[in-house]
Amino acid sequence: MMSEFDVSLYSDIEPLPIETGLDNELCQIMYTDEYKQVIGIARRLISNGEFSERALDLTSCVIDLSPAFYTIWNYRFNIVTALMAVSGDIEAFLNKELDWLDEVTLNNPKNYQIWSYRQALLEVHPNASLKRELPVLEMMIDEDTKNYHVWSYRKWCVQKFNDFTNEFQFADSLIEKDIYNNSAWTHRMFVLKNLTSNKNEDNWNEQLKKETIDFEIEYAKQKITLCPQNVSSWNYLRGILDKYFDEDYTINGIDEFAIQYIDNIFEKNESELTETNSTNLPQLKSSYALQFVADGYSRIPDKKNMAIKAYKSLSIKYDPIRRGLWNHMISKLSA
Amino acid sequence: MERNLNRFKFINNKLLGRKKPIIERELSSEEEMDVISDTSDYQTETIADRNEVLKDCLPLLEDPDLESKLNRDFLKMYLTAAFSLQLPSQMTALDASQPWILYWVANSLYMLDAAWLTDDHKKRLKEKIFVISPDGGPFAGGIGQLPHVAATYAAINTLTLCDNIDNSWDLVNRDAILNWLLSIKQKNGGFKTSFTVGENDTRGVYCALSIASLLNIITPELTENVLEYLIACQNFEGGFGGCPQEDEAHGGYTFCAVAALAILGKLDSINIPKLIEWCATKQYNEEKGFCGRSNKLVDGCYSFWVGGTIAILEAYGYGDYIFDHDSLREYILRCCQDDKMPGLRDKPGKRPDFYHTNYVLSGLAITEYKFDILDKTNATSIIVKKRDNIGYSELNPVNPIYGIPIDVASKIYDHFR
Repeated sequence: MMSEFDVSLYSDIEPLPIETGLDNELCQIMYTDEYKQVIGIARRLISNGEFSERALDLTSCVIDLSPAFYTIWNYRFNIVTALMAVSGDIEAFLNKELDWLDEVTLNNPKNYQIWSYRQALLEVHPNASLKRELPVLEMMIDEDTKNYHVWSYRKWCVQKFNDFTNEFQFADSLIEKDIYNNSAWTHRMFVLKNLTSNKNEDNWNEQLKKETIDFEIEYAKQKITLCPQNVSSWNYLRGILDKYFDEDYTINGIDEFAIQYIDNIFEKNESELTETNSTNLPQLKSSYALQFVADGYSRIPDKKNMAIKAYKSLSIKYDPIRRGLWNHMISKLSA
Repeated sequence: MERNLNRFKFINNKLLGRKKPIIERELSSEEEMDVISDTSDYQTETIADRNEVLKDCLPLLEDPDLESKLNRDFLKMYLTAAFSLQLPSQMTALDASQPWILYWVANSLYMLDAAWLTDDHKKRLKEKIFVISPDGGPFAGGIGQLPHVAATYAAINTLTLCDNIDNSWDLVNRDAILNWLLSIKQKNGGFKTSFTVGENDTRGVYCALSIASLLNIITPELTENVLEYLIACQNFEGGFGGCPQEDEAHGGYTFCAVAALAILGKLDSINIPKLIEWCATKQYNEEKGFCGRSNKLVDGCYSFWVGGTIAILEAYGYGDYIFDHDSLREYILRCCQDDKMPGLRDKPGKRPDFYHTNYVLSGLAITEYKFDILDKTNATSIIVKKRDNIGYSELNPVNPIYGIPIDVASKIYDHFR
């Protein structure tokens, strides 16, 4: 418990009820006496419009007991903005608040309210910095490498401060740790798109953009080589080709790169690519490679038959749960 | 799969000393080796976590003594208990989400059998919603709390399920709800969950549009920039993230965005083939259920978040080939229910709860019907036909856009027109 509840501070406060008083109420929660008292006092302070140190302390107690209680986060924000105005040092006051929030954050990894509260604090902070934010975010990611709120908040921060300096490296370190971490791959795409966007024209000339994109393609290929059956690295590669190369999956022989993972599927004749004969088909290193080639070739008129073979083998053997999708692709190509 | 099964048998026999004998059966030649070779020297946290789940799921999926059938009576017991007993103090975590509890339980009962949600339940549901927010909305999570967009969504859905009992629909303060929705509306087209501090993501957009369309209070001011916001949430994988900043594609946020687009009548503004492919790739060959993000674990609740998204796409004419209905049913019926603990769950080893019960059941209902729509400008005009050649659990069909049964959704929609 971070915040000890000291009832003597609130002896003049008559708690408001937190129970409905309904007879026969549906889904009534059996609150503890402590909860009833703390929330009851908070309700009274809110209705009195009290913005004080003791009110701030009380919100800490409520958040300890019930971190998803969004009303209290709102109340706390109003207290903080009132108190900081009279504190004489807004920056120091808000830094103290951020320190408190860091601790709450580490104790409540799945909570939604913390992050919007943090954003609200940063919006009123006279001297907010990305540097102040990064350590707690890294600790959170260390605990749970796919924590959605943390990744989303990190993106918000990086954009707010327009500082992408650490981001490729950060994404890379998480991909190094777990090559299947889709959050890290998505972050990498976020960085790439931002750095190469028109907004960023001043710092990035066309040559630098091109080199970065080429580097990222090599990066994805290298990770695929390490671990070919990984949807994240393949989606990253496809994302780049979709955005920067107009969905061309054959550029610079990248189709050849993918084909090395799908054995000699294209040499099979139609009778070999049937449900009944599918047991004779070889083991493959990657169903995503097969899909990559199929999608790429489906857009090239004279490679449609190869695309159909690839979809067919996905359907009958390598990815049968999606046979509806693969058969749909085949019928589109055959039409 | 063979490797995983062997691993499981080893763990059970050698490490856990399991008493019940493992059922051995002859593997078909298909199963004799993995069709995709495992890069077994590349073990990471993701692979280790998934292997744990496979270890729990595969025996259930393969158990010949287990029947793939919904235990309706056991579920009824769980849900009626929720409406006749007080909730233990551990559920204080949901103190700011009370309308959600009411919605999950009422919706589950209604899906199982409309008559199981009795008039007495409806009266007490209505009473509780209006004691929380005596002015008739916007609605809060509990008494003395601020209005919240998700609480208002759950409250309106609950009142919808109450079928206008005692003319309760006319107690809803539509003007106040519209004005409040406009107050949480953001310049970028998003909605904050509450005023002034709250999350701004696709959940807010979905809840706002769901409420406003059922109550017939959608105005041009309310929807200004919303379409641009939603379009910007579709990321490179094809699914949608929470915020328009290349957030990771996620089943829950994807559902919110797609349902909101359907309400706006603007599904054609996004990249549908990419979305379809993303949804399809959330279903695992081995576990047979859906995960919520690439390389994450299967979870029963995505039966609705992803399955519902697919049902919306089907209703709007984008095809009914997107997922494997039979397989999802296998995951739900074998892995999400248990004969010892009533209620439905995320996955084996997890405790059932009201949230999972509602969304797993909604997902199951989706597997049993074909979806179509009569009028694309009216999201409540979804119609269904029973699917052929698939099991039937006698569930009332759900409108996948609103997450409530089709009949009540269209009834409240008509009431306010």
